[in-house]
Amino acid sequence: MQAGGPMDKKIDITNLVPQENNEQKSEQKEINYWRSFRELHNDPDFLKEKNNEFKEGVTDDFEVSKLSVLSRRKFLALLSASAALAATGCSDYKEKGSIVPYNKKPEEIIVGLPNFYASTCTSCNNACGILVKTREGRPIKIDGNPDHPVSKGKICAKGQASILNLYDPGRLKDPVYSSDRQNHRNIPWGEVDDKIIAELKTNAGSGKEIAIVTHRVISPSYKKLLDEFIAAYPTTKVYSYELFDEGTKNSAWTKTYGRKTYPVVKLENAKVILALESDFLTYEGNAVENMRLFAMNRDVMNGREFNRLYVVEGAATSTGFTADYRMRLRTDAIEEFVLSLLNEFLVKRRISSFASDVRISGVVQSFQLEKFAKKYNLDGKALNALVEDLIKNQGNSIVLAGNKLPESTHIAVNLLNDVLGNTKLYSADSEEIELQPLSQRNDIETLIGSMNAGNVGMVIHAGTNPVYHIAHDYGYTDAVKKVPTVITIADMLNESSEVSQYVLPLSHILESWGDYRTRTNFYSLQQPMIAPLYRSRQKEAMLLTWLRGNKEAFNENLYHEYVMQNWEKNIFPVLNSKLDFKKFWNASLHDGVAYINEKPAPPSTFIPDAFAGLSSRMTASEEYIVLLEEGNLGDGRFANNGWLQELPHPVSKIVWDNYAAVSVQTAADLGVNNNDNIEVLFGERHLTLPVFVQPGLADKVVEIQLGYGRTKAGDVGSNVGFNANVLLTKHVTLSSRFFNNAKVSKVTGTHELVTTQENHAIDESPLLKDIQFKRGIIVESTYNEFKKNPALVKGEKEKVDIESVNREHKYTSFKWGMSIDLNKCTGCSACVIACNVENNIPVVGKEQVKKGREMTWLRIDRYYHGTPDTPQANFQPMLCQHCDFAPCENVCPVAATTHSADGLNIMAYNRCVGTRYCSNNCPYKVRRFNYFNFRDHFNDAYYDKESVNLMYNPEVTVRSRGVMEKCTFCVQRVMDERQHAIEQNRNVEGANVTTACQDACPSYAIVFGNINDKESEVYKHRENAIGYLVLEEIKTAPNVTYFAKLRNTEEKA
Amino acid sequence: MSFDSTYTKELPLVESKTSFSEIDNVIAAPMESKPGKTWFLLLALSVTMLLFGAVCLGLTFWFGIGLWGNNQPVGWAFDITNFVFWIGIGHAGTLISAILFLLRQRWRTAIARFAEAMTIFAVMTAGIFPLIHVGRPWLAGYLLPYPNQNNVWPNFYSPLMWDVFAVSTYLTVSFVFWYIGLVPDFATLRDRTKAGIKKALFTILSLGWRNSNRHWQHYERTYLILAGLSTPLVLSVHTIVSFDFAVSVIPGWHTTIFPPYFVAGAVFSGFGMVSTVLIFVRKVFHMEHIITVNHLEKMNKILLATGSIVGYAYAMEFFIAWYSGNPFEMFVFINRAFGPYAWAYWTMISCNVIFPQLFWFKKIRRAIPVTLVIVILVNVGMWFERFVIIVTSLHRDFLPSSWGMFVPTLYDTGILIGSFGLFFTLVLLFARTLPVISIAEIKAVVPGAQPTHKHHTNGQH
Repeated sequence: MQAGGPMDKKIDITNLVPQENNEQKSEQKEINYWRSFRELHNDPDFLKEKNNEFKEGVTDDFEVSKLSVLSRRKFLALLSASAALAATGCSDYKEKGSIVPYNKKPEEIIVGLPNFYASTCTSCNNACGILVKTREGRPIKIDGNPDHPVSKGKICAKGQASILNLYDPGRLKDPVYSSDRQNHRNIPWGEVDDKIIAELKTNAGSGKEIAIVTHRVISPSYKKLLDEFIAAYPTTKVYSYELFDEGTKNSAWTKTYGRKTYPVVKLENAKVILALESDFLTYEGNAVENMRLFAMNRDVMNGREFNRLYVVEGAATSTGFTADYRMRLRTDAIEEFVLSLLNEFLVKRRISSFASDVRISGVVQSFQLEKFAKKYNLDGKALNALVEDLIKNQGNSIVLAGNKLPESTHIAVNLLNDVLGNTKLYSADSEEIELQPLSQRNDIETLIGSMNAGNVGMVIHAGTNPVYHIAHDYGYTDAVKKVPTVITIADMLNESSEVSQYVLPLSHILESWGDYRTRTNFYSLQQPMIAPLYRSRQKEAMLLTWLRGNKEAFNENLYHEYVMQNWEKNIFPVLNSKLDFKKFWNASLHDGVAYINEKPAPPSTFIPDAFAGLSSRMTASEEYIVLLEEGNLGDGRFANNGWLQELPHPVSKIVWDNYAAVSVQTAADLGVNNNDNIEVLFGERHLTLPVFVQPGLADKVVEIQLGYGRTKAGDVGSNVGFNANVLLTKHVTLSSRFFNNAKVSKVTGTHELVTTQENHAIDESPLLKDIQFKRGIIVESTYNEFKKNPALVKGEKEKVDIESVNREHKYTSFKWGMSIDLNKCTGCSACVIACNVENNIPVVGKEQVKKGREMTWLRIDRYYHGTPDTPQANFQPMLCQHCDFAPCENVCPVAATTHSADGLNIMAYNRCVGTRYCSNNCPYKVRRFNYFNFRDHFNDAYYDKESVNLMYNPEVTVRSRGVMEKCTFCVQRVMDERQHAIEQNRNVEGANVTTACQDACPSYAIVFGNINDKESEVYKHRENAIGYLVLEEIKTAPNVTYFAKLRNTEEKA
Repeated sequence: MSFDSTYTKELPLVESKTSFSEIDNVIAAPMESKPGKTWFLLLALSVTMLLFGAVCLGLTFWFGIGLWGNNQPVGWAFDITNFVFWIGIGHAGTLISAILFLLRQRWRTAIARFAEAMTIFAVMTAGIFPLIHVGRPWLAGYLLPYPNQNNVWPNFYSPLMWDVFAVSTYLTVSFVFWYIGLVPDFATLRDRTKAGIKKALFTILSLGWRNSNRHWQHYERTYLILAGLSTPLVLSVHTIVSFDFAVSVIPGWHTTIFPPYFVAGAVFSGFGMVSTVLIFVRKVFHMEHIITVNHLEKMNKILLATGSIVGYAYAMEFFIAWYSGNPFEMFVFINRAFGPYAWAYWTMISCNVIFPQLFWFKKIRRAIPVTLVIVILVNVGMWFERFVIIVTSLHRDFLPSSWGMFVPTLYDTGILIGSFGLFFTLVLLFARTLPVISIAEIKAVVPGAQPTHKHHTNGQH
C-alpha cells in the first residue's frame, strides 16, 4: 500500500450532503395534509408561505459559506482535544522528564534502530573481540564479535556483565585528591596534571624511582607508550602482575622447549583429553575458545566422533562434572599420577624413544601406576580406559595441566604429551604473544625494598589494585604509604586508593581506545561506543598527557591519535596492505580485527634435562591442601557488579559469597557442616570463612574462590565474602594459588551461605536418589549406546497421547522453538548473564535470593548423581518452555498470560495483577514475580539511579512491583524480524532470530528458530532421536527440546 | 427418668418453661443494657488485633508482597490459606440455617442466627484475601467482567475467576437470607424501643412488619425458598474454592477428591468456630437455657461426623497417591508426612482426625470445657490443613532444582491475627446490636409452644 493513498480520492462531503437532502424534501411535498383552515381553503398567502419551507426571511442568508466556520466535526474535534488537554494538564502523573528529538540528527543513528560496533573486551587477558549494540548512542549489550578469530562471536559471563560496570552509579566521576590519603576531595584535571607533571619531573631529576604498576601488557601501543614514558622520565620502572597468572605453565614450557609461552592447543583435533586440575571449560585459559573447540566434538548433528574427556582433580569444577570419566585425586598427588603414567608408557609399554633415555626412565621407574591407583583408590575401570585411550590415540590426545599446578608437574605433563606424540596438536600457525613478561617475585621485592628505603618518589597504579592483590607478606601496603606520591587510576575507589593521594577516574573499556595482541596473526582493536559518562580518562591518555609534560596536551582524541599514529608508522607498513592507511584503519575498526601474516617459529624439541634435572618433585602428603580458584568476580574487579555477584557458582550454586568447599568426609573429620566457620592457617597467614560441603571434592582439599572479601569496592561489592588473597605468599613453593600443609580447624561462628538450589541433591534416600532421571528431567545414556541405537531415547518412551480439554491451536505459519544440547553445556552461565542484560533483569540481593526470589529468567540447574564422594553432575539450562498447553495460561484470571499465534507464551505486564497462580501452576517453576520493586528495594535503590537507566534495553519493558515475568524467547527480537520481513515483503525467516542466550553460548548448545520449517536447524534438532521434552508425560507440550546427555564412557555408569 | 422415656421423647429445645416476654427480654437484653467490662475488654483485644493486621497490610500495600514469606516455588502461602480457612468457617452458618431448616432440625433455631452472622463475617474476612494477595491490589478490578474499551475480558477458564463469582454470590445470598430472618425480630425490637434513632432504624429495617397472618405466610415461603437457594451454595462455594487447586497440574493439588473433601472440611471448621463462639456467648449473655448442652452435643456429633469424613479424605489421598502409581504424587504425600513440613501435617492430623474422635464418648460431648478445647483444636487443625495443602504441595513440586522453603514473616502472622481481629470485632459488635438468637423462631420451640396430644397448654399464642 502506498503511503498517502487514501488522500488521493478526496471527497467533498460538504457539497454532497445538502443535495441529497433537497431531493428527499421535494418528494415529501406530494402528500397533502391540512393543518389549518387557511391551508384547507388554499389561502394564497398561505400557499405562498407553504412553498417556502422556512418562513420568509429566515432562509434569506442561508449560505454554507456564511455559516460558522466551526463545522460539527471540527466542533467535536476541538471538544475532544480540549478535553484531552484538560485531562493531561490536570493529571498529576509523575514527571518522567521530557523526550527531546535530535536537533541535529547524527548521520549514523536512526532512532529506534540499534547500531553495532566492534571492539575488544579487556576485562581479562584473553582480549576477546566484542560487538557492542548501541541504541541512540548508548551501549546496551555486549556480545562476541563473530569476525574475531579466537572468540568467534562469543564472550563469557563476565564480558557480558561488564556493561553494568559502565553504568555503575558508584563510579568515580572526578579526579580526587587528598594530601593525607584519607578524605579525598574533587580536584580539577588541570590541577592534577600540573601537579603530577611537576612531581614526575622532580623525581626524574632527583633520581627517585617512578613505579608504574600495571596489569599484563597486551597492547602494542600501550607498550610503546610505556617505553616512551621511561625515555621521558628515565627513573620510571614498569611492574606488571596478574592474580591469575600462568607462571608455572609458561616457565615449564620455557624449560622443556626453550620457548616463551605455552602453545595454542588444537583442542578440536583431540580425541582424548585428560585435564589435570584444569577448569579449562569455565574459568581457566581462554575458556570461551576451549568450550567452542571442545563442543565441536560433542555434537550428534555434525557426525563427528565424540571426544572423550578425563578429568583428574582435587577440586570440584564444572569441567570435572562435564567429563566422561572423573577421578578425584588430591592435587598434590597429581604429579605422582603423571609420573606413574609416564612409567606405564615408557618403561612398561615402551611406546616412545624416550624409553631408552635413562635420564628419564631412571626417574619414572619408581612410580608404579597400579600401586598408585591402589593408594589413592582410583577407579580401576576408568584408569584402564584412560591408559588404553592414550595409547590408542597417540598424537590425537592432549593432557592439559591446570595453571595452579607447580612447574615440576607441568614439566612432567609436557613430557607425557611428547611421549604420546601429542605435540601434533600444538598449533603450528598460532602462538601466544608476550609483549612484556610479568614481574617476578624479586622485581616486586626490589620495588618494595626501594619504597621502604625511600628511593621511590612516585607510584602509579595504572588500573590496578595491588593493595588488594599482592601477597600481604611482601608488605606492599605499608611500603607504599612511605612513597611521597601515590596515584591510583581506577574506575571507583578501591583498597589501593586508600593509600593514594590521587585517585583518578578510569574510563570503561567502552569509553576507550586501544589495540591488543594476544596471539600471532592478528590484532584486536578497541574503540569507544560512548563519550566518557563522567570526567574519566583512559589510563593511556593520562600517561600520555604526563609524558608530553603539558596539561594542554590532553584532548579526548589524544590516545586515539596516538594509537593511529603508532599503527600508521610502525604496524601498517609491515602489513603490506594495498589500501591507504585511512581506509585500512576504518576497515579494521569496523571489523575489530586486523590481520597480519606471520609464522611462529618452527616447533622445538623436548629437552630431557629439564625433566631429569628437576631438583624438587612434589610429594603427596596427608595434610590439608588449599586451592585458590577463579570465580565469577575474576580477580575482584567485578565485585561491584550485582549481576555477577548474583550469578550462581556453576557447581555449588552459591551466590553473593565465597566459601571453603570441603568434601563430605573432610567436613565430618572437621566436625563441621554448611555455614560453620573454619580457619585455614599457614603459619602467620590465616583466614576464617564458612564451609560448604561440596560433593566430589577430594578429601583434605579446601577450595576457595578469589576476588571476594573486598573492603572497598563500592556499595554493592564491599565486604561480600572473604578475602582469600590473605593466603597468598611471596614464598611460593608449589604455585601461587596452590598450597599444601595447611592447618584447618573448626572455629566458632557461622556465616549463612545462600544457594539458588536446595542442597539435598545428593541424598541417598530412595525417594530422592536419581530423582532427575526417574522424573524424566534429565535423560542420560552413553555415546556407545547411541551409536548402536540412535533412537535410544525416543524408543524407550511409551507413546502417551492424552487429549487436551482445550481446543488445540493449529500453528499454520511459523512456530518458535528452541533446542538445548546437554552434551555441549558446561554450565558456564554466559547465557544467564546475557539474558539478564537483554531483558533488563534486576539484581535482588542475597537476602532475597535466600528467600527464593531470584529474578533470572534463565537458570542452570545442576543435578548430582552417584555417591557423595564420586558424584557426576548434569547441567541443564532451564527457561520458559513456551508450552502449547501452558498450565500458566489457563489459570490466570485476567488473561495476562496467553499464547500467541506463533507459539509464544506471552505476558501482558499491564494486565497482570499478580495473583502468582501462574507461577504455582508452572511445572518448570520458571516464572519470576516482582515481590518488590527490586530496583528500588535493592541496596537503597542503588540500581535505580539515573546512570543505570541508560543501560536498559529500550525494547524490553522494565517491570515494576507486583508483576509476573518470565522468559519471552526474546520476543523483541522476534518482533524485529517480523518488522524486517514486512518491510522487505518476505516471510519471517526463523534463522534470522537468535535469542540472547543463544548468542552468548560459547559451545553453541542453544538453537532457536521456526519449528514449522522443515529445513530449519531447530526442526532437525526437535526431530532428532535423542531429543526429549522435560516432564513430557504431564502433556504441557513444551517447545524446548533437550538433547539427552551422552557420556562417552565404555559402558553405562 | 426411665431409659424408655428419654429414648422416645425428644429432648426439650429450650430448657425450663420460658414465657415469650421472658424470651424477648433475654435476647434483647444485650442490646438494651450497657455493655459490661468484659465486652469492652474483648472488643479492645479484637480491635488491637485488627489494627495490628491493618498496619501490616498497609505496609504490604506500600512496599509489596515481598514483606511476606512467599517466594518462587511457594507463590501462595498464608494469604490463600487464610482465604480458604475463612471461607470454610463461613460454611456452618448457612448449613445450619438452610440445610438443617430444610431437614426440619428444629434444634437449629437457637444457634442459627449467630451462625449465619458468623458466616457473613467470615466470608467478609475471607473476601479480603483474594484482593490483598495480588501483587497490584489497585488493579484487582480486572477480575470483574466489565465491558471496556480494550475488549479484554477476564479468563473464564481460571478457577480464580470462578471464585470471584462463587464467593460474591454466596455472600449476597447469605446476607439476604440472614436479613429476611431478622425482619420479624426487627419488628419486635421496634415495638420494644421507645423513640430515637434506634426506633427509626428498626422501623426501616423491619419493613413494616406487623405480625399479620399474611406477613407470616409470605415470610415462611420466602425463607423456605432462600433456604432452598442457599443449600446448593453451601456445597458449591467450597467446591469451587477447591477447584483453585484441583484444576491445577501440581501434584498434591490435582485431585478429584477435593470438592467433597473441602466441603466436609468447611462444615467441620465452621461448626468448630460456631461452637467456640457460642460457648462464650451462652455464658456471657446468660442464655444457657436457650443454647443448651443438648445443642452443643448435637454440634459435637456433626463435628465427629465431618471430622471422620475429613480423616477418610486424608487417608484416601494417600491411598490414591500410592494406587495411581504417579511418582510425583507419591512423593508429595510422603514429603507431606515426613518432609520438612511434617510438623504441620501431624498438627493437622491430630487436631482434625484424632482429637474429634473423643466425641464418641457422650460424657466428653456434653463436657463443655473439653468441647471448648477440642473445637479450638479443630480450628487450628483446619487452618493447618489449608497450609499443608498449599505450602507442602508447592514447596517441592516437579523439578527438584526449584524446591524451596516458605518461612512466614511478621507480616504474614500480623495479617492472620488481623483477620481474627476483624472477625471477632464484627462478632462482638453484632452481639450488642442485633438479636443473637431468632426471637420469633425460638418462641416456636419453647416447651408448650407446640400443640401436643397429651394435654393442651394454656400458653400464650
